[in-house]
Amino acid sequence: MRFVDEFRDPELAEVLGRQITSLCEPGRHYKIMEVCGGHTHTIYRYGVQDHLPENIELVHGPGCPVCVIPMGRVDDGIAIAERDGVILTCFGDMMRVPGGRGSFLEANARGADIRMVYSPLDALRIARDNPDREVVFYAIGFETTAPSTALTILRAAKEGIENFSVFCSHVTIIPAIKAILDSPDLRLDAFIGPGHVSTVIGCRPYEWIPRDFGMPLVCAGFEPLDLLQSVYMIMKQFSEGRAEVENQYSRVVAYDGNPVALRVLADVFALRPFFEWRGLGSIAHSALQLSPRYAQYDAELRYELPGVRVADPKACQCGEVLKGVLKPWECKVFGTACTPETPIGTCMVSSEGACAAYYNYGQYAKQRLNLEVLR
Amino acid sequence: MSEPEVGATCSAEDGCITCGDVAVVLTVTSVADADAVCTDEQGRQETVATELVGDVRPGDRLLVHAGVAIERLTAVPTGG
Ligand code: SF4
Repeated sequence: MRFVDEFRDPELAEVLGRQITSLCEPGRHYKIMEVCGGHTHTIYRYGVQDHLPENIELVHGPGCPVCVIPMGRVDDGIAIAERDGVILTCFGDMMRVPGGRGSFLEANARGADIRMVYSPLDALRIARDNPDREVVFYAIGFETTAPSTALTILRAAKEGIENFSVFCSHVTIIPAIKAILDSPDLRLDAFIGPGHVSTVIGCRPYEWIPRDFGMPLVCAGFEPLDLLQSVYMIMKQFSEGRAEVENQYSRVVAYDGNPVALRVLADVFALRPFFEWRGLGSIAHSALQLSPRYAQYDAELRYELPGVRVADPKACQCGEVLKGVLKPWECKVFGTACTPETPIGTCMVSSEGACAAYYNYGQYAKQRLNLEVLR
Repeated sequence: MSEPEVGATCSAEDGCITCGDVAVVLTVTSVADADAVCTDEQGRQETVATELVGDVRPGDRLLVHAGVAIERLTAVPTGG
């Protein structure tokens, strides 16, 4: 039996859908935000929304790592890559993110050497193999990915590799959720918590959400049934008058997270006082930089950078999409000027971006559901 | 380009799994220091850094993201 089969069972999906419907209070509209882009992807790919009654609305959140990178930091990456002898390395989706001076792909066409890697450890290997070049890893991602970067820096330090550094744009999920809850244009009822981020940070850091805002949060896995079961757990909390943090993804997520990973993060990184998120603006203590102990691996200290704030294109409404205020198709340029081939905004780049996920799967959600989930 | 490692694929269909905050479940086949050679269900191999999950042994199942094991899986009871 494949590991995932039991999480795509069509009959169970139907049963869960019915149970969820039976827990809905008539006349009430429920807005549930899935924070993580991976969930957004599953929701569109498998048409999860089609299993829910109409008065439960899934709202997409800010948890897509490339979507939140501001244009100015893309330009900083290009400035590093344009230096003599530098190899810049990054994850795949980052190659197409538009900055003020184009994307990394376009920089490569102009002669830069920007390479796609699957892991920061691959970037370190490139540094080891090219001692006469400077290798920089362009680090993005939430707490799921930050431990890999931290571990890579520890290995570089242990091996004494000096031609390696990291341009760090790692972000943290809790301040982003806070910013969304503080935003006046959105009313939410509950959260589906990010499963893989929670593997690292655990469930405790969310406890203020039910406590201060009276909203349930359920940490969820990434299969269609994981998401349906999480919605069921949220609705159950509503029907019983509870608001708590619950863990649907307990087969992977420990309530206290991974203490070793947290220790490594605390050693290698320090919180930035502020970080600019694309579309969400500057958020306090929402991103990581290298701690002073590892300053020699900090590309921001090693190279002179433009560090300029570049305004998003006028037509771009990614900020509203990232906050869940607008649905992807409500953006004026969606599917016309902005497509996955020629993205204007970041949400169209990564397949976890709400716009790309809807563009790729949205219209087909129903057929796909029948073909793939209800097979 | 050599054969991509497991999980290393970036396709139009699934995108870059690392950017998507996706982690994959792999099974340890052999261990050398802090690295473990792991395989996925299709038998594809990948070298995984294991410092964040402690000692691993062949047969252990790990949740892997960007070449690093971030958690071990607790046994899932089969058949339910
Ligand atoms: S359609 Fe393009 S510009 Fe509009 S919100 Fe989506 S990614 Fe941004």
